[in-house]
Amino acid sequence: MEFYLKVLEITCLYTILVLGAYLMTGLTGLFSLGQGGFVSIGAYTAAIAYLKFGLPFAASIGLAVAMGIVVGFVIGLPTLRLHRDYFLLVTFGFGEMVRAALLHLAQLTGGGLGVAGIPKLVGLPTIILSIVVITLIIANLKRSRFGRDCIAIRDDELAATLMGIPVYRHKMKVFILSSAITSYGGAIYAFVIMFIEPNLFNWLESAKLIIITFVGGVNSITGAIVASVVYYSFGEFFRFVDVWRDVLLAIAVLLVTIFRSQGIFGNWELTPGKLLFWRRKEL
Amino acid sequence: MTAEVLKITDISKNFGGVAAVTGFSMIQRENEITAIIGPNGAGKTTVFNLITGVYPVDTGRMWFYDTEITRTPAHAITALGITRTFQNIRLFRNLNVLDNLKVAFGVKSRYTVWEEMVRLSRVRREERAVIDLAKSYLAYFGMERYASYYPYNLPYGLQRRLELARALMPTPKLLLLDEPGAGLNPREIRELIGTLLKIKEEKKLSMIVVEHHMELVMNSCTTLHVLDFGKKIAEGRPEEIKKNEQVLQAYLGDEV
Repeated sequence: MEFYLKVLEITCLYTILVLGAYLMTGLTGLFSLGQGGFVSIGAYTAAIAYLKFGLPFAASIGLAVAMGIVVGFVIGLPTLRLHRDYFLLVTFGFGEMVRAALLHLAQLTGGGLGVAGIPKLVGLPTIILSIVVITLIIANLKRSRFGRDCIAIRDDELAATLMGIPVYRHKMKVFILSSAITSYGGAIYAFVIMFIEPNLFNWLESAKLIIITFVGGVNSITGAIVASVVYYSFGEFFRFVDVWRDVLLAIAVLLVTIFRSQGIFGNWELTPGKLLFWRRKEL
Repeated sequence: MTAEVLKITDISKNFGGVAAVTGFSMIQRENEITAIIGPNGAGKTTVFNLITGVYPVDTGRMWFYDTEITRTPAHAITALGITRTFQNIRLFRNLNVLDNLKVAFGVKSRYTVWEEMVRLSRVRREERAVIDLAKSYLAYFGMERYASYYPYNLPYGLQRRLELARALMPTPKLLLLDEPGAGLNPREIRELIGTLLKIKEEKKLSMIVVEHHMELVMNSCTTLHVLDFGKKIAEGRPEEIKKNEQVLQAYLGDEV
């Protein structure tokens, strides 16, 4: 039982990060390999604020989110003017830069040794509550103007501009919101796992977030969540297949991209209405 | 004399040495349909791209009513009340027909991101109003039953109609139509002419049309501007243009 709870905890943690990536890559089509950087910023800010500066728990989390927002704004300012591949490269650089900085600012961050001795202050209920709140926010955004503008920008930036959408400003909002969610996820991570080090979130982890979003379906929050839960818990349950784990996943990803390019869930969303009327439809 | 909707004076645009538009001027009056015609590559679409702010002009100035729009960014020009359609249809493939229309109304939505996040009653109210408006436009174009379709599953003619409906969503004052008749058969062209005239009357709208199709131009436009190699070679009423030597030369070549 203990084991399953642990798996669930970690899975849910990563799902928060996937939701951050979903907003950016799924909804708006901004391919960022720098999400890991924001996780680290969130985790380190919260841990250092709590341990070294003695801030209360809630304030540490708040500071981590604020830091994510500020860094998101500063990084977004020049990069969001770039186009697809260039944006990807620069955010990739940003993520690796954060990692290098954490390694070399040893006095503050503990360098390669990481930060240990963080108390476990966050349990499953908090994480699940966070997921619910974040999902609600993203779902609300998705079904009103904000989300439509995101999808419009992803589909055709020029046409979106001519619909009166201030594309750059809108991307900035998305980037900042995604950074806030991601650094929040990072902060929570620190207080769940109790140990953080610079290499926890390299660009590969960031890439995984994007892949999960795509497998689930870029137009479906439900898809992102389900794919994330399956992926991260699958990883834990199939530890015995060892290195073949990644091969299996790669095959799964390939199959999905070839045979269902819209992602497994396509445009389908699980809404409260569908949940309630599911049985009635069966009859 | 009716008011001037759009005034363009002497605008030019070069693309790395190629003069796409040179010294183009025009005045668009209220409740009129004008056309910009000319052979392929004459710079007609470029004029549209300059008006809507897709490219900045190199020289020259533009006014929309009393507002100068020479340096206004594209999205702000749309918000002022100029909308357009595209030569190659540019619908949003991941939004369904209804949402494609809703996107276009975004410039008129009043709620903020924060209100959206918690879905205040104001957001819900506005969303309902947008849906009603979008549905009324679908009904106007006889497309109600396609509301939940995805645009690229629609036949070509309907996609064109949807683009037109989308351009009308934010109740613009000036509508730019880039080859609205391209790819339509003669019957559909006649329908389109009827639709355009009807929209003009009902919505009190001014339009500029870029078009090759002479039947459409001659039957719906009051003024024609003829472009050739980026320069305006003639301006006038359709019957004048038909007889204009220079125009015939541009279209048919010298020594016919």
